[in-house]
Amino acid sequence: MLKKTTVQKLSDLAAGLMEKGALIAPVREEAGHNFREISDPAAVDLDFYNTLLSPKSVFFPHTEDFIRYKTGASIAEAVCVEPDIRPTVLFGVRPCDVKSFEIMDIHFTGTGKVDPYWAKRREAATIFGYAFDPNTPADPADFYSTLGIGAADPEGSDVFMIRKDQDLLLQAVSPKGEKLLSELPSLSDASADDQKYFDGTVAAGRTFKTRFTCVEAEPIAKKFEDLFHNAAFWEKVSEACLSCGACTFVCPTCYCFDICDETLFSQGTRRRVWDSCMFTDFTLEASGHNPRTKVYQRLRQKISHKYSYHIRKYGPISCVGCGRCTRNCPVNIDIFSIVNEAMKA
Amino acid sequence: MATSFKQIEENLKTEAGKLLDAGKVSMVLAYGRGYDEKHPLPYVARSLADVDGMVFNEYCTANLARYLVRYPRGTKIGIAAKAADSRAVIQLIQEDKVKRDDLVILGIPVYGMKNAKTDEAIDAKTTCGLYNPVIYDVLLGEEVHGQPVLSPYEVLEKVEAMGQDERFAFWKKELDRCIRCYACRKACPMCYCDPCFIDQNKPKWGEKSPETGGNLMYHLTRFHHLAGRCIDCGECSRACPVDIPLYLFHKKVAKECEEMFGQAAGMSIDEKPALINFRVEDSDKILE
Ligand code: SF4
Ligand code: SF4
Ligand code: SF4
Ligand code: SF4
Repeated sequence: MLKKTTVQKLSDLAAGLMEKGALIAPVREEAGHNFREISDPAAVDLDFYNTLLSPKSVFFPHTEDFIRYKTGASIAEAVCVEPDIRPTVLFGVRPCDVKSFEIMDIHFTGTGKVDPYWAKRREAATIFGYAFDPNTPADPADFYSTLGIGAADPEGSDVFMIRKDQDLLLQAVSPKGEKLLSELPSLSDASADDQKYFDGTVAAGRTFKTRFTCVEAEPIAKKFEDLFHNAAFWEKVSEACLSCGACTFVCPTCYCFDICDETLFSQGTRRRVWDSCMFTDFTLEASGHNPRTKVYQRLRQKISHKYSYHIRKYGPISCVGCGRCTRNCPVNIDIFSIVNEAMKA
Repeated sequence: MATSFKQIEENLKTEAGKLLDAGKVSMVLAYGRGYDEKHPLPYVARSLADVDGMVFNEYCTANLARYLVRYPRGTKIGIAAKAADSRAVIQLIQEDKVKRDDLVILGIPVYGMKNAKTDEAIDAKTTCGLYNPVIYDVLLGEEVHGQPVLSPYEVLEKVEAMGQDERFAFWKKELDRCIRCYACRKACPMCYCDPCFIDQNKPKWGEKSPETGGNLMYHLTRFHHLAGRCIDCGECSRACPVDIPLYLFHKKVAKECEEMFGQAAGMSIDEKPALINFRVEDSDKILE
């Protein structure tokens, strides 16, 4: 059953959700919107295009503590850090980002080795997807339609939300979402007209065009394999690249991390911290050898991983076309253009 | 009247073409087409045919001096340089990272550059605010007359008025937002160390996790490694995905340096960098 509320009453909905667990939702910050845990329901803000940082940190935080120890003490005294898992509502996720969770699941749970931190957080979360507005043109950096993702795809969400002017329509997608929606007193029942609008928007979202190029997984995987030794191609497309970590840190489908021991006085913590294949020392070996000393080798890795190795190993392309890497690249390198050029090469 | 962006683009293509054609340089560092008008890319032309791909508009903000150290020493390079960028070129020459003779500097006199993210004008608030390149071989337009309205240090007023605790709280809050993507150091023409101190683990100078300790270590050290060297191009702050106003700290250090040693970074090819040069009459304020 389709439910509704108004944008004005968003904070009532937020307050209701906070009773169910931790609420993580978009809030306005200095450089744009980001997902944060909400303490004041009025802070939830749905007036955003997409968040600056991806929501991956909700399940895969930038820093995750595993073990605490004292330096010099016996290993028997080291303690495992129990992850802080609470029922969570992740609110206002765009369809391309919802899709990214499915891709990330492959790595954190789908390969046979289950990462309990990711898995438990995923399980404890109820996801409220939120459609892009099909009446507003897509950001020029976006290209999710290339990856077969609609602007209003409810799949993957537990509850899916579509904005209709000042109304917010909410449709349960999973039983988990159904249950949660039925427990929220601030929602009213939507009309038949609302339902028509909702279904119409989902359908319109499927033909909504962002930048578009036709990418099929198998041919593009092959293309990048063929291009691997074409240093001239890679040198050209990476000429401007600074080899920083901005693109990978904002990306919802980048999942590389490092395990670090960090100590303050004698108190040590073993933790995992996001890492980036664009960093010079990412592949630095203990011997001092570094198989990827050149910028083009690192950019080749980043793009081939998403558009070739990932397809070969797991099936899907590991990119959802959210455009964050392009929007945040200090020198405007655009992964879409590189993929496009590769197809023509 | 300043030369139009379109005209500068034309002049850039003409001059770059001449240089490549005559074999005076093997490459020209300039700007090329990005995924749309608003997002041009740093671009390298190696042949006459490449010159067509060049663009210049108000969003060509990147400081191309950053790329100079990437090519083998001795490579003959033409480089398009706006005012602050030309200061970076001078600073790199002073630091012997690149030779004056290996460069042909295509100076761009310009104002009205814009930050593509905010659409705000780029002026003395976030950069040195100069209009004309300090050094060049060819000037790609008429010199812009008149002085910048703001001094590059005026923007510091608010931070300088803060007490010590307030100032610390301000910087802690700003730097706590850092995600340690290192776009700032990678975009900076003066950050060429390999490896950067923060990447070393023997000894380990700072933690990798984006928390207060490591963030302060990274930034405070970087700010000081840039003392007397930062040429106030503002590129670090524009590169930052979370918009940390790094320029405020760099400007403060630059201001103190200028007051103590009477010179600003990258303003004269004949000077030595302030912190490398020793003069008996130098200020001792730093020891106080
Ligand atoms: S593509 Fe852009 S964001 Fe990514 S490493 Fe290169 S310069 Fe940094
Ligand atoms: S590679 Fe870029 S467009 Fe693709 S998912 Fe990552 S950030 Fe989004
Ligand atoms: S520190 Fe920032 S403003 Fe200074 S030279 Fe480097 S990038 Fe430019
Ligand atoms: S660019 Fe910004 S977020 Fe990235 S390391 Fe520098 S200050 Fe931190």
